[in-house]
Amino acid sequence: MLGVRNYSITKKLIGMNMLVSGAALLIACAAFVAYDLITFREAMVHNLSIQAQMAGSNSVSPLMFNDPQAAENTLSALKAAPNVVLAGIYTLDGRPFATYWRGGNGQTVALPQMYTNQTEGHWFKDGQLLLVRTIVFQRKPTGTVYIRSDLREMSARLKRYAGIAAMVLLASLVAALLVASIFQRAVAEPIVHLAEITRIVSRDKNYAMRATPTGKRDEPDILIGAFNEMLRQIQQREEALQQAHDELEQRVEERTAQLAAANKELEAFSYSVSHDLRTPLRGIDGFSLALLEDYAERLDDQGKEHLQRIRAATQRMGMLIDDLLNLSRMTRAEIRKESFDISTIAHSVVESLQEAHAKRRIEFWIEDGLEANADPRLLRVVLENLLGNACKFTSKRTSARVEFGKMHRNGSTAYFVRDNGAGFDPAYADRLFGAFQRLHGATEFPGTGVGLATVQRIIHRHGGQIWAEGEVEKGAAFYFTL
Amino acid sequence: MTGKHIRGMEPFQCTPARCVTSSGPSRLFRFVAVVVACAVIAAPILYGQQSNPTEYEVKAAYLYNFGKFVEWPAKARTADDSFTICVLGQDPFGTTFDTTIAGENINGKKVVIKRVAKPQDALSCRILFISSSEESRLKEIVATLDKTSVLTVSDIPQFTRRGGMIQFVVEANKVRFEVNLAIAERAGLILSSQLLKVAISVRRSPQAGD
Repeated sequence: MLGVRNYSITKKLIGMNMLVSGAALLIACAAFVAYDLITFREAMVHNLSIQAQMAGSNSVSPLMFNDPQAAENTLSALKAAPNVVLAGIYTLDGRPFATYWRGGNGQTVALPQMYTNQTEGHWFKDGQLLLVRTIVFQRKPTGTVYIRSDLREMSARLKRYAGIAAMVLLASLVAALLVASIFQRAVAEPIVHLAEITRIVSRDKNYAMRATPTGKRDEPDILIGAFNEMLRQIQQREEALQQAHDELEQRVEERTAQLAAANKELEAFSYSVSHDLRTPLRGIDGFSLALLEDYAERLDDQGKEHLQRIRAATQRMGMLIDDLLNLSRMTRAEIRKESFDISTIAHSVVESLQEAHAKRRIEFWIEDGLEANADPRLLRVVLENLLGNACKFTSKRTSARVEFGKMHRNGSTAYFVRDNGAGFDPAYADRLFGAFQRLHGATEFPGTGVGLATVQRIIHRHGGQIWAEGEVEKGAAFYFTL
Repeated sequence: MTGKHIRGMEPFQCTPARCVTSSGPSRLFRFVAVVVACAVIAAPILYGQQSNPTEYEVKAAYLYNFGKFVEWPAKARTADDSFTICVLGQDPFGTTFDTTIAGENINGKKVVIKRVAKPQDALSCRILFISSSEESRLKEIVATLDKTSVLTVSDIPQFTRRGGMIQFVVEANKVRFEVNLAIAERAGLILSSQLLKVAISVRRSPQAGD
């Protein structure tokens, strides 16, 4: 039965039809044959009983007048019945009186035992029908007749029946095959067609396909109608979805363009503002210096100090503008990635830092041979900022220590810059990277608050991540991936 | 269908003879059965207490059996309620009749045995056995019984040629009989073909060769 499951519905229908008709016919044939055989058997017993009665009543006088020859003559009439194998007349006490054999062999046969109180008894034994009948003459038992008949006729009949049944079965199976192949067209074809369309639809995602209705008001037609309706709805929804999707995409594109334009404008604006701010600032600084140098004798100490303050402020503002320009440049600069030795860059940054902080004693530790795939120009800016910060925030330590290296965290490689400086409150860790965000006072640690924003911008543009860990007065660590 | 035997079942422990006799046949039937059985078996075999039947025992049984194969005319001068078997002359049967056949019945009629001395006394008999002691008077006896419906039986030689109907003949130790059908028919008797079938010879002419 396993193979049958994979057959097409057409084959299943035809097979089912043939099985059903075959089974029905077989059962019917079996019933008919059984009925006929039973009837035939009864008829056979009946006929044999009649033959026994005739032989018996014709043997009454030979029995009574002790004439076995006459009885044998009587029995020899059974030659007309070819099914009779043996017939015998027996006296009342069971002695053989006359015997007839189909072949002529006249040997006597012992009388089989019989039930009590019955005139006649018969049974089937060894493919023969045995019948014993008491000969009754004038209501008195006179002797016994015994007839044995073979079942040749019955087996011949059975053979004939089997032949007829086989022929009928064959003919009906052929007829069933024909009828089933005609009817399967009405039942299976629409379903096969529907299955094919379903297959194509699910393969090609083509919801414009439609199954052809049968045109009859039967279940396959309802199925096809419902399927087509489903396809229509799916098609509708898909179109609506596609439309909505297209609209959305268009809107996103528009917004992106607007956003990019606005951003560009803003950047251009901030650049030009920063750039344009420098000129008047240089003027303020220059004229303040001129005042200090050229009119020093006419100014009192108070005026000189004011001027000094003006100069310090303008210089700070200049630094701020530089940083802003830097940030702006980093944002716009094109990234050119390449593989390089990041440790070498760290060393060169540390060298310049050591020159700048020649008076301080800072212990640097840099892991050698670290490779990176990034824009080396921008990575130098990152390291300048992070290592510079580390130097700046360890300024109050007598023995400062700054480290740069590589570590594994959460399955990815992260570079780190660690110091033992002032640290920060971990609650504000996210705010570290915002522009102009400062967690320490400018008087305590000078700076513009743009450096870490620049670093974050560069790392993000590389597709990496940056985060910081630290505690107040216990140092800080910055990690970044590329 | 009378058959109630189911194939494969062991039949009841009972021979047909025993089964049949158990249904209550008469002493005579038992006697006849034994007589016939012994006649068939060449070697004399003893059945229980009974010895091999004598010639006249067999003949007595035959006389009784004739009654069953012969039809008497309705106007027969015989008593309606009894079936009389007569013996004329010296009785060779001894007590056989009285012990076995008397009291039986044929076609519902009680069998009565009568011994007669004169043929005139035998007119009311159905069957008359003429003893060989009467051979000398045979012509007279036949004449007396002519056209009466008495079935005449005898073992007198040439009996059927001399006006008798049935004559016993002993052949190879077996009792057989000859029939003169013409005489029986003239007396209005109808002899069954069954009876004629077992006769040695059946004469159809009244007194051929006499």
